[in-house]
Amino acid sequence: MDLTMFMQQMVNGFSLGSMYALIAIGYTMVYGVLRLINFAHGDIMMVGGFLGYFGIAVLDLPFGAAVLLAIVGSALLGMASDRIAYRPLRSAPKISLLITAIGVSFFLENAFNVFFGGVPRAFPVPAYLENVVDFMSLTMPVSAIIVPIITAFLLAIILWVLYKTKYGMAIRALAFDVGTVNLMGIDANRIITLVFGMGSALAAVGGIFWAVNYPSVEPMMGVLVGLKAFAAAVVGGIGSVGGAVLGGLIIGFTEVVVIAFFPELGGYKDAFAFIFLILILLFKPTGILGIDFEKSRF
Amino acid sequence: MRKLAVLATSVALLASSSFAKEINVGVTMSMSGPLAAYGQTAYEGIEFANSLQPKLKNGDTVKLVLVDTKGDKVESANAATRLISSDKVVGILGELTSTNTAQVMAIAEKKQIPVISPVATNDKLTEQKEFANRVCFTDSFQGAVVANYAVKDLKLKTAVVVVDQAQVYSLGLAKAFTEAFTKAGGKIVKEIKVSSGDKDFKAVVSQIKAANPDFLFLPMYHPEVSMIARQAKQIGLVKPMFSGDGVANQTFIDLGGDAVEGYMFTDFFDYGAPPTQRSKDFIAAYSQKTGKQEVNSFVALGADAYNLMVDAMNRCANPEDSICINKEIKATVNFEGVSGVINMDKTGNSTRSAVIKVVQNGKAVYKATVNP
Repeated sequence: MDLTMFMQQMVNGFSLGSMYALIAIGYTMVYGVLRLINFAHGDIMMVGGFLGYFGIAVLDLPFGAAVLLAIVGSALLGMASDRIAYRPLRSAPKISLLITAIGVSFFLENAFNVFFGGVPRAFPVPAYLENVVDFMSLTMPVSAIIVPIITAFLLAIILWVLYKTKYGMAIRALAFDVGTVNLMGIDANRIITLVFGMGSALAAVGGIFWAVNYPSVEPMMGVLVGLKAFAAAVVGGIGSVGGAVLGGLIIGFTEVVVIAFFPELGGYKDAFAFIFLILILLFKPTGILGIDFEKSRF
Repeated sequence: MRKLAVLATSVALLASSSFAKEINVGVTMSMSGPLAAYGQTAYEGIEFANSLQPKLKNGDTVKLVLVDTKGDKVESANAATRLISSDKVVGILGELTSTNTAQVMAIAEKKQIPVISPVATNDKLTEQKEFANRVCFTDSFQGAVVANYAVKDLKLKTAVVVVDQAQVYSLGLAKAFTEAFTKAGGKIVKEIKVSSGDKDFKAVVSQIKAANPDFLFLPMYHPEVSMIARQAKQIGLVKPMFSGDGVANQTFIDLGGDAVEGYMFTDFFDYGAPPTQRSKDFIAAYSQKTGKQEVNSFVALGADAYNLMVDAMNRCANPEDSICINKEIKATVNFEGVSGVINMDKTGNSTRSAVIKVVQNGKAVYKATVNP
């Protein structure tokens, strides 16, 4: 393997890992405040992809407006899922919440299957995102460069919200102790809604990126991505935003490296993501940037 | 208990033989899930053939009972069990992919219910099975067609093969191609394994670009192939690409866009070159109903699977006798199908021609016919 090839694979891994990272942030934030693994998160990403598709293909919106539609629509859906499915179960055992999340996931998949059918639809990618760039003998589409940049930008915004704003402080406090936060006069439900909104908006961006890179949308597209993003969140240390990004990149690079060095094992690349998950759980159950849940949050 | 059942059935048969009744024929198809595009197309053919020929010659009506397998192995097995035990079907049409069809066939074998698969091409499917049949060709034939065409007509000498190791179809076709290609004087420079459901093939196409073969053989289904073609184009990998019937679908071209221009694949049938009178009639009726001339090859093979089943039922004294139906299916020779002339043998395989198509301006265009 020469250097060019190696660099090319690194670019590939970075672009893929950034998408996992975007989706993993949503898992990690919801887990942080509710201790809930929101298995419907991958499907919110699917809805984001579909909304983008409808924005462009049906409503004939410019790409930017379609992205905005997807972000707003998914954020509303995320908040609604919390209001309808999770809020009534706040005081129920955690396992009920988990099962409800799986229910929400199945509901979304099947609802889209019923209304739009299972046949993948071609996603109309704007030509400028598909342009190929040659950079020092590396060839890549514009999207491969844009995805990591936007991911980094969004991560910066999330961290700013968490550490520099009043709402961020409330989120961190909530992650620490829901009961006490309520006593302090903070409306916990409003903050949780905000977390769902933020996480779902990121998932929508992830969904659009996914649809741009692999130009199709279909109702089951969020299932495997969701699971891998979940693995990424755990590997990086669930509850930690930085960890989610790190985990996403690790999973993305692993997949690429497996194919680059062991083409024979390429078909098992999904397994490697989950082998990582198991190893991490065995040796460092809190993940790489894992946080001690008794002390601090995010 | 069994005797009692036989007695009860015969009494019921005697009692009902005087007036026409409905006979259930099962259909197991991927109507949703990743392979929904295939399932819906093949079912369209079965349903349309049923509307053209709903009755048997004794006046009984054939009723289709459809179960969606969601493209899943386990669901396919469940679907077959349900059709046989609760819907009392006399035969089953489907599934589509070789993996899922193997499940349906295994269950039908135990219950002695004949299966006709429209498009499952894996060689092993019908081996050592009494009740397994198909109207399509096998992968060893298809693989040889591609290999010979590439070496002799296109003068391509080296190939990279990408295999979907989660699909029996892909493994079988890759093996058949590799054997025929090597025998014809070609060389496989690299084999890469992937899994269906993958979307990201950037690492794969980067590998292929480094190997620099004359052409790519991608024995997989359209969701993955369309992604590989697109991502290959993105990194500037422009080589002839070839697939089997797994991409013989407009959805493939829609998903692949510009990246699949010039893409070649084997198929069973082309509506532009109708091989029999029955296909001319079918195309005429189809265009009258739907307003479009283009009969997809999966529609044609779905129709053939149905027609062959009905044909066999007609030749049985009792059209509900599954064992007789199966015997008659295997005895079918010179059957005038929509997709061509089909000869069944006692292994349940058919002997038939293949066509090669190429994608031009967003349409699959007929290129050549290859006879066995």
